[in-house]
Amino acid sequence: MNDFIVETHALTKRFGSRVAVDGVDLRIPRGSAFGYLGPNGAGKTTLIRMLLGLTPASSGTMQLRGLPVPERRAEALARVGAIVEEPRFHPFLTGRENLQIVAAAREPAAHARIGGALDLVGLANRADERVNQYSLGMRQRLGVARALLGDPELLILDEPTNGLDPAGILEFRGLVRRLVGEGRTVVLSSHLLDEVEKICDAVAIVDRGSVVWQGPIDAIHGGTRTVLVAVDDEPAALALLDRHEVEVTAEGIIVRLSTEAGPDVVAGLNRRLVNAGIGVHRLELSRASLEARFLEITSRLEEAA
Amino acid sequence: MRLVRAEFLKLRKRRGLAAAAIVLTLAPIVVGFAVLTILHAVDPERYGPAGGFENLQGSLELLTQIGIVAAILVGATAGAGDRGAGVFRELVVTGRSRLQLFAARIPGGLAFLLPLVAVSFAIAAIASVTLAGSGQEPVTGETIVRYAGWVALDMVLAFLLALGVSSALGSRGTSIGILLAWQLAAAPLLLSTGKLDGVLPNAALASLQPEPTQIVSTSLSVAIVVLVCWTLAPLAIGAWRTSTADS
Repeated sequence: MNDFIVETHALTKRFGSRVAVDGVDLRIPRGSAFGYLGPNGAGKTTLIRMLLGLTPASSGTMQLRGLPVPERRAEALARVGAIVEEPRFHPFLTGRENLQIVAAAREPAAHARIGGALDLVGLANRADERVNQYSLGMRQRLGVARALLGDPELLILDEPTNGLDPAGILEFRGLVRRLVGEGRTVVLSSHLLDEVEKICDAVAIVDRGSVVWQGPIDAIHGGTRTVLVAVDDEPAALALLDRHEVEVTAEGIIVRLSTEAGPDVVAGLNRRLVNAGIGVHRLELSRASLEARFLEITSRLEEAA
Repeated sequence: MRLVRAEFLKLRKRRGLAAAAIVLTLAPIVVGFAVLTILHAVDPERYGPAGGFENLQGSLELLTQIGIVAAILVGATAGAGDRGAGVFRELVVTGRSRLQLFAARIPGGLAFLLPLVAVSFAIAAIASVTLAGSGQEPVTGETIVRYAGWVALDMVLAFLLALGVSSALGSRGTSIGILLAWQLAAAPLLLSTGKLDGVLPNAALASLQPEPTQIVSTSLSVAIVVLVCWTLAPLAIGAWRTSTADS
């Protein structure tokens, strides 16, 4: 079995002269929660639509579950569930009937999964109401239930927490981790970077049609960690820290360290300052948030363009 | 079969469509025979019995003219309902072949439409036999069978045309508008010129009527070819668009 549940090579989609997806090489590891991040218009949804056979690729190759698509699309998608953009339903049908419609297009066993899927997303007691009476959050959860009908190895969820209240988001986070725990792969396309950071094991950042970074979530924080140092004698501290990359802010001095730097390095820093007679008010180790790194990576590209 | 049942469910649960289809197929026959019966009861000297061959023929012509609107509504809904609701892409991502999704619409839609037409036809046939007077041309079993085939052909063709056109256009409303304009205005107008009988579907259908009430110069073989072309061409275009269009 291939280690990657999704693999694309030089995948490209053009709309006339506009390139929406530009030679994307993407590898999504099996059994992980994978975040697919990018600014609006970066080509996230277009790539998902190509993977799912909703629109053809202009060039390049792709594999889902180790199977080439579109050549073996039916086989590949049989164990894939997806929400693309917002989940859509026949409003005049009940939640259960909407699932029956999609189950009819899947293998016969999909019908037997309807009850369990509704239970899992907490809609069992509202399943026989028409969907036009559902809130946005309920539709979102019904979309997840529908995506689970095929007993998917791979779930692709586009902005899945839209419309969910904080409790719903918390439940959703648990649901994703539970699905990953069952050995499934969940791909989250989201603009909620904080959510992705809390849920995902690995991420890819896409900008202007290209994947500009991909890897484990820990690695995206970059090659540096920072320590915020607030002291009573800033010039003396700056002189002492001249071997480090530093930045002076209103809160204090930000010292950049390598990712390997741990508490012992911070303790050593503190010791040096104190031994030099400098009073330390604050010493705080932190690392760049995903949001900061995301903005750094995408804005760096903007500057280069 | 599961896909066909799903298509049927989608049509059956649309209350507005179901109500319109019932009214458009049953009302012409029920109202027609009720009016004929009342007229005969009120003034039997002037109005003959409500039954008999002539009244059967008239009522079935009315059924085909009004019922065809129901066939268009059902066909257009079956063809464009999923796309209009944005659900088609949810079906595509199951991996199911788009052609299979398209093909399931045909039996699913007919399973919804034809029982209504059959009930309506049965009412007309029973009324024309039971309400017939002694001086009227009787309705035979053969007549009933031949007219049943003709009415079914009329309805199925209108349904398939609507299904193909709406699948190609992807819009239920636009398709209904175009097809109603065609069926109720353009086609009869072109037929009245008498110069396009060899290409018009309504001319072909008129020529296949068991006892034609319109004179058309279309032979049986030409009529069959015309009807096959008018059925297959929109279906082929609809199937092609369903298979290739972005979802």
